[in-house]
Formats: sequence, C-alpha cells, structure tokens
Amino acid sequence: MNSTPIDFFPIVIQFFVAAGFVGITMFATHFIGPKLNTRKKLKPFESGVQSVGNARQPFAIKYFLTAILFVLFDVEVIFLYPYAVNFLELGMSGLITMLLFMGLLLCGLIYVIRSGALDWE
Amino acid sequence: MNVVIALTITGILNLFGSIFSYRKITPLLSIIGLTTAIVFNSMYWNTNQSFFNHMMVVDNYAVAFGTVCMVLAACLIIFYNRFMGDNDHHLPEVLSVIVLSVDGAIVMVSYTNLLMLFLGVEILSISFYILAGLKKKDLGSNEAAIKYFLMGAFSTGFLLLGITLIYGATASFDLSVISEYVKLNSTSTNYLLLSGVLLILVGLLFKVAAAPFHFWTPDVYQGAPTIITAFFATVGKIASFGAFYRLFQMCFSPIVNEWSGVIMVVAIITMFIGNITALQQKNLKRMFAYSSIAHAGYMLLALLSHDYLGGNAILFYSIAYGISSMSAFIIIHIIQTQTGTDEAMGFAGLVHKNKTLAMITAISMLSLSGIPLTAGFFGKFYLFSSAIESGYVLLVCLAVINSFIGIYYYFKPVIESYFKDSITDDVIKLKSVETILLIFLSIATILLGIFPGLVPAI
Repeated sequence: MNSTPIDFFPIVIQFFVAAGFVGITMFATHFIGPKLNTRKKLKPFESGVQSVGNARQPFAIKYFLTAILFVLFDVEVIFLYPYAVNFLELGMSGLITMLLFMGLLLCGLIYVIRSGALDWE
Repeated sequence: MNVVIALTITGILNLFGSIFSYRKITPLLSIIGLTTAIVFNSMYWNTNQSFFNHMMVVDNYAVAFGTVCMVLAACLIIFYNRFMGDNDHHLPEVLSVIVLSVDGAIVMVSYTNLLMLFLGVEILSISFYILAGLKKKDLGSNEAAIKYFLMGAFSTGFLLLGITLIYGATASFDLSVISEYVKLNSTSTNYLLLSGVLLILVGLLFKVAAAPFHFWTPDVYQGAPTIITAFFATVGKIASFGAFYRLFQMCFSPIVNEWSGVIMVVAIITMFIGNITALQQKNLKRMFAYSSIAHAGYMLLALLSHDYLGGNAILFYSIAYGISSMSAFIIIHIIQTQTGTDEAMGFAGLVHKNKTLAMITAISMLSLSGIPLTAGFFGKFYLFSSAIESGYVLLVCLAVINSFIGIYYYFKPVIESYFKDSITDDVIKLKSVETILLIFLSIATILLGIFPGLVPAI
C-alpha cells in the first residue's frame, strides 16, 4: 500500500522506451527504405481487393441495428468466460445468478425478435 | 431486495405489453407494480437491513426518499396514460422505461458503495435520455435528447474519475470504510482524497442542475414532452439530491470545511442565476426549468448542516417541491394541449374555463414560492433553519432575498388565470381521475403546510 513516487519510475522509463521505439522505427524506415510510389501502392489497402467507389455513402439503418444488437449479445458472452472458469467454486448460487442474468437477456432477445427488429424486408 | 425485484419484474412485464398484445392493461400493471414496491419499501421502515454483500443499506432515509420517488412516479404514470395513452404507439415501452428508471432512483438513495451510486446514476440517466427524445418527429425533443445524453455522459466521466481518486486514497468503494478513513485523517490535508471529493461534487452538481453546470436544463426541460419534464424535475432531482446528501453526510462530513466553500459559492450562484433568468422567460416550461435550478440552490443549503437536521429538511423540501412541481407541470400540459401554447398567456382567463384548475394552479404556485400555509413554506423554513444552526446566516439572507424574487414569476400564471380575459371561451373539461389526483396533490400541499409533523423524522 505504501508507495512513494519513486516506485513508479520504471513506468516512466517504460513510457519513454515505448514512445522512443515507435518514433525511431517510423523515422528510420522513412529515411532508410527505398521510395517507389506507384498509383496502385498509394491506394487505400482493402484486404488486397481492388477498392471500389467512395466510402462515404449512406447505407440502410438496418445494418446499424443489426450491428448494435450483435455488440450487445457479444458482450454478454464475455461474462460467460469468467463464469466458466469459476464454475465449480461458485456452485449452485452462481448457477442461479447466471441463469437470472441470461434470463434477463433472453427477455431482451424475445423482445427484439417479436418486435420485428430483425425482419430484413 | 424486494423493492428492486418488484420494480424490475414490472418493467419487464410492461416491455412485453405490445408484442404479446396486452398493452391496454400495462398502465394498470405498472400502478400495481409500483404500489407493491411502495408496500415492500414501507415494510423496511426502522429495520436498517443490508443487502447484496453490503452494497445497499435500506435505512429510514432510503425508505423515505424511495417512497417519495415511487409515489410521484405512480402519479405521473396515471397522468401519462390519461393524456398520451390513446395516441402513444409505444405506451408499454415508455411505461417500462419509467418504471425501470425508478429502480435507478431506489439504488441512488440506498447505496452504501460508490459502485452502486454509479450504477444508480446510470440507470436513472440512461432512462432519462430515452424519455427526453420520446417525440421522435419533434426537433426540440431530439435536441433535448442528444444534448442531455452528451452532457450527461461527460458529467458521468467526472463522477467516475472522482470515485477512482477516492478509491486511490482510501483503497475502498465502501462508504463505511471511506468514512472511517476520512475520520482518521481529517486533520491532515490529503490532496488525492480532496480532488476526488471535488470531482464527485462536479458530477453530482450536474445531475441536480446547479449552476455553473445547469446549461442543459432549460433546453432539455423545454424540449422534452411536458409530462416527462415533470418526471425530470421531480423524481430525477429528488433522487439526485438523495444520493448527494447521503454521500456527503455519511462520508465527508469530517472534512466539511474543505468543501463547504464550494457548496456555498455554487448555492449562491445557482439561486441568483435560476431566479433572475426565470424572470425574463416567456415560455413557461423554460421558466420552470430555471425555477428548478433555483430550487436546487436552496436544497444545497441542507448539505452544509452538521447534523441529521439537514436530512429531515431536504426530505420535507423534496416532498413539498415534488408535489407542487408535479401539479404545475401537469397543468401546463393540460393548457398546452388545449390552447397549443406553453407560454404564460395560455393561462389567460383560466378561472372562466375551469375553476378547479385555476385554484390548483394558485395553490401550487403559492407553495413553490414559499407562502405560509403551504408545504413550500415549511420546506424553506426547515432548510433555512438547519443552515442557520450551522452558522451560515449570510447565505440564508441571500436565499430569502431569492425567495422574494421568485414570487414575481410564480405569480405570472396566477395573475393571467384570474385577472386577464381569455381569447377563447372554451371550457376545459377534465376526466374525473385527473381532477381527483390534482385535488389530492393540492390537499397534500395544504395539509403539509398546516401539519408539517405529518412527515416522519428520519
């Protein structure tokens, strides 16, 4: 508990090392490497696929809804990992708590499906 | 804890109202749920039980504030159903959000752990952001929602950082551990702790809409649907003050000299900005937004009192302010739907249109301005006397001056409704439930003004 500011000095060193590494590598590659700029090289990299059109386009709100629902239920899965690790220690009370948690989320899922948020057409 | 469970189940049942087609009975369902929760809550009186590994303690303070919040929410749901029920496509969802936000209010007044404070604040606030934007097609409502959301999220950041620093200083989120630590170290200056206190202060002052953190209030209160504004001004403010007073009384009272200066300055600025700006407002919703800022200034005085007198004062003031504010906003809504304007001239000749409504307007305005024989008078009396006993005479003098300023604008609607001629002679007809509830609120105002002992000491 008792720590003086000097105990945090390694963190400062670590910070400078990290920042220095980034800075040095960026400048070094800039100066050392050969520069051959071609039209294709300067294009935005899109997983190796030829890029098509402009990225700033309006798209249907349905994608957004699907994405946000995905995030919601994806985050829920994260809570299952620590529970799986501690499954035996938590015992019956842990199971009930977890079932309650999943049950509440299931209510949300039922609401989402029944209210037609996932209907594409 | 039964209250939280009852409210959550009610909220979820309401949510399913529209998809399993029982939306007609959802208002009834929420009233039953809230009543059950109130009954459960009152059973905790004098028990001091601790819940969830000492995350919440339901003492008399929590029971009193929780009951006030739930009763006001129940009134609001009845009015919401009456006014919006037939036109509102999303009635079950709205009721669900309202009931769940009361859940947040309950957590906010009974926490004994800073994490629960944060959770409660978030549950309440996120519901409020949704409620502010209920009128999807209305530009003002959209503006209110986005403004409230952005600024609220920002202020929550301050609250969180404050909690972090306090954890850094005391190595605990638990209020009892923090209060022990503060007691032991009250003589030496601990800058980590003090910066934490200051940042929490900023976060909570935003939530209660005290100047200079009040800029969201007028826009949000004006833009949101009027009934929802009533909810913000009553339940939101009362729960925030419940949380505020609980934290500072339980934990930081040994170092009161360190933060009392901040509260004093903020209280003075808040009272003057609220009252003086309210004088110039033509729009009634905006005027009442500034008036609610001014009331936050008065209520800050209770934080400065050294003993539990402050708790009683803030409870009584909350009840008085909540009741009168609720009826004032409900009347504005009625006038707004009738005449199409939410400005003071909409009240012109109200006495010829509906005598009861004019009388209820007068009573609630008298109570808000603090005239004797109404609850507002005793609310102010308790607040000011608790501050005087702690030695803040100058502050109370300024507060009294501000009460006088307040009388000017509170009487605007009263003068309009009694002494001006109306443009149209349409009679305003109310359904019997609305009239009974409004009369009930006025009777409560007068009853508390004559027998202030009806509110039990906590």
